[in-house]
This record gives sequence, C-alpha cells and structure tokens, in this order.
Amino acid sequence: MKILQRLVPFIMGILLIFLPMSLLAMEKKADTLDELLEMFDESSCMECHEEAHGEWSKSWHAKAVVSSLGGMHNFIEIGLAKEWETPLTKAQIMKCLDCHAPIVNYASEELAVKIGRMIVTAHKEKGKPAGDTIQKELARLNVGCLSCHNIKATEVARGFNGPAERGMIYGPNGEDAGDAHETLEVADITRSSFCMQCHGIYKAADGETIQCNTLSGSYQNTYLALGGSKSCQDCHMKKGHLFPGGHDLDTVKEGLGFEVQINPYKHLPGQIKGVKSPKNWVPSAVVNVFIENKTGHRVPDG
Amino acid sequence: MVLDVTARNLAEKDPEKQVLFSVQEKYFEIGRDTENRMRYGAWQIKEIVDLTLQPMQTRREQYLINFDTDVEEVEIEANLSYFISGKKGDVVYSVKEKLTYELE
Repeated sequence: MKILQRLVPFIMGILLIFLPMSLLAMEKKADTLDELLEMFDESSCMECHEEAHGEWSKSWHAKAVVSSLGGMHNFIEIGLAKEWETPLTKAQIMKCLDCHAPIVNYASEELAVKIGRMIVTAHKEKGKPAGDTIQKELARLNVGCLSCHNIKATEVARGFNGPAERGMIYGPNGEDAGDAHETLEVADITRSSFCMQCHGIYKAADGETIQCNTLSGSYQNTYLALGGSKSCQDCHMKKGHLFPGGHDLDTVKEGLGFEVQINPYKHLPGQIKGVKSPKNWVPSAVVNVFIENKTGHRVPDG
Repeated sequence: MVLDVTARNLAEKDPEKQVLFSVQEKYFEIGRDTENRMRYGAWQIKEIVDLTLQPMQTRREQYLINFDTDVEEVEIEANLSYFISGKKGDVVYSVKEKLTYELE
C-alpha cells in the first residue's frame, strides 16, 4: 500500500507531462477548406485593424499561394512524382505550404493532399474556367493575420514560448484588445529570426532543405558579421503590413546606390590596334560604375 | 540584376554601326544540386554559387574604352536593371553622358 501511495504522485506527474501532448496530437484537423478557414477565421480582424488589413491585402503575403503556383506545381509534378518517385502526402506538401499557407498545418492528411492536387490543376489549367475556379478557392489560402500572429508566433523559441494557444493573438506589445481577443506579447515577432522562419533556407520536418530563397543566410553571415544591426522589420515594415520587397521598384531603388563616373581622355598614338589613323591620338574613356548594396541581404536573392 | 554599359557614336545613322562598345554584367545566384548541376527547383538546390551583390558592400566595375580616331561625339549610357523573375525586369537607375573629342 505504501508503495502505491508513493507511486501516485509519480504517475500523476507522468500523466501531466504526456496528457497535453496526446491532446495536441489528437487535435481536430479540418477535412474541408471551409472548415479549415473557419478554424482560423480572420474575417473579424479588419473590423479593428482596418489599416493593417488594407496594407496586407495588397501584399504578396496575401497571395502567397496563388503567386507561387508554378513552383509548387513543379515540386509536386517533377520533384515528387518524377525525381523522388514519392507520393504526394501532407508531409511533402507542407514543404511548400508551411510557409505559403501555414494554416494547412491544421488540415487533415486528405485535405492537405487535395490542396496539393488543386495547386497542380490550377497551374495546368491556368486561364481556363476549371483552373480559374480552383485558383479562386486557393486564393483563400495565404500568409494571413493568424499565420504570423498565432501559428508561427511562438515557433522561433518554441522551447521557451511553448506552442501557440488557439485563439490567442500574439503581438509585439501585448496590448489589451478588450473583448475582441486575448493578447500576449511575444518579442520574437519584432526580430529578424521571426521572418527567417520562411525567408531563408527552409528545413523540413524530415530534414530536407528547400531553397526558395536564401535571404537569411546573407543577413546572418554577411550583414550582421559586418556590423549591420537593422532587422527585417526595420526596412520592410516601413509601409506597415504591405511588406514591400523585390516586387516594389521604390524599395529596390532605396536598397541600391548607383554612381557612374566617366573620364574622357585621349590615348597615346600607335598603341591601339585597328584604328583608322594610327598616328593620331585615340578618343577614349574610362567608365567607373559603383553599385552599392545598402540592404541587409544579398541582392538579388534567389 | 543586370548592369548594361553602352557607348554609341551619335554621328552614325545606322543603328547597327552606332554601338561602339557594349558590356553586360549579371549579378545572380546559381543554384546547384549535390552533383554541382545548375538547378532552378527549390527542392533541387542544395548550395549556391554566389554572384550577387553582398550587403554593405560597393561593387566597382571599370571599363577602359578606346574609340576610333574619327569619333567625335559619343554617348555613354549605364543602366542598372532589376529582374524580379527571368521574364520581368525594370530599370532601377540610368545614367547618360555625352563626350566630345576634338579631331586632329
């Protein structure tokens, strides 16, 4: 009996550790796109955050799936099907969608595969009624409010932060939002490491590396190493949630310096072969072009 | 990203003969797989050859151009273009300067 009494706290401890994990594993996954979007309903965000929503709706985050159909189609049809001879599964399509549409993490295996198939059809049937209808459906998937302010919010320091709580809104200052939603401050969202979850070499759960872009590498290994201290957000949130980058000519211009110095002179006679009058001075110029990369990463980035 | 530097003889009417000097520099990443083959697929690329402009650095390109002895007026143009994809490019900066030479 005494042994049993001693074992009770131990058993309770084990249960307390493993119960939340098993509950998490059992968490309901959406079987349809409507159900998935309802689980992460963002329709009310714009009621209070009209300006941020307006900026975001014009951003590339808002079209993170439909603007990348070609690349994702190629991954499924060439990468998986032909090169790897591997079936399309949720784990495989998440190599794209964990960044392009993080809410798909909460889709069932069947739904995630269906979304992968929709991506293939939308790309193949682009411009045709069937393709356009599917593209409209896919446009509902993107890097939305909850992608950053919930799903990815705690991932940079998952051990310290723990997993994101469903329904919680994570922000840079944890401002009280009244009855609208609960808010928690998470400094991570203001740091480059937050953006680097996706804007750099992506490491999938199975260890595969995916190089859509390599921004974080040059940021960390060159910019910071040379003494740079600005964050991604310092430059790319100057226009709020629009996040302008390489697609915006003004932002590209801001990140580059360009100076051309042209020095005309006459070259010594007899030294330049093939001129019409070898005894004459040769009209010449030295052109120096200086291109300054003022950004915090390589330009251009792959 | 592409730098184009062109020198044109303004006295020459034939567009083909007008260009006296032309050079193009390309700044980009070459994605390569584990067998060092150039690749475009994000899943195929495991390393890069880095021909890009590095942060906080200024790249200097220098050209010494000799024209013919009867060239009197030259226009030198330097354009810096940014390509967001292989298909779509925009001129970010453009500089033009006219040079005149006294003929002997």
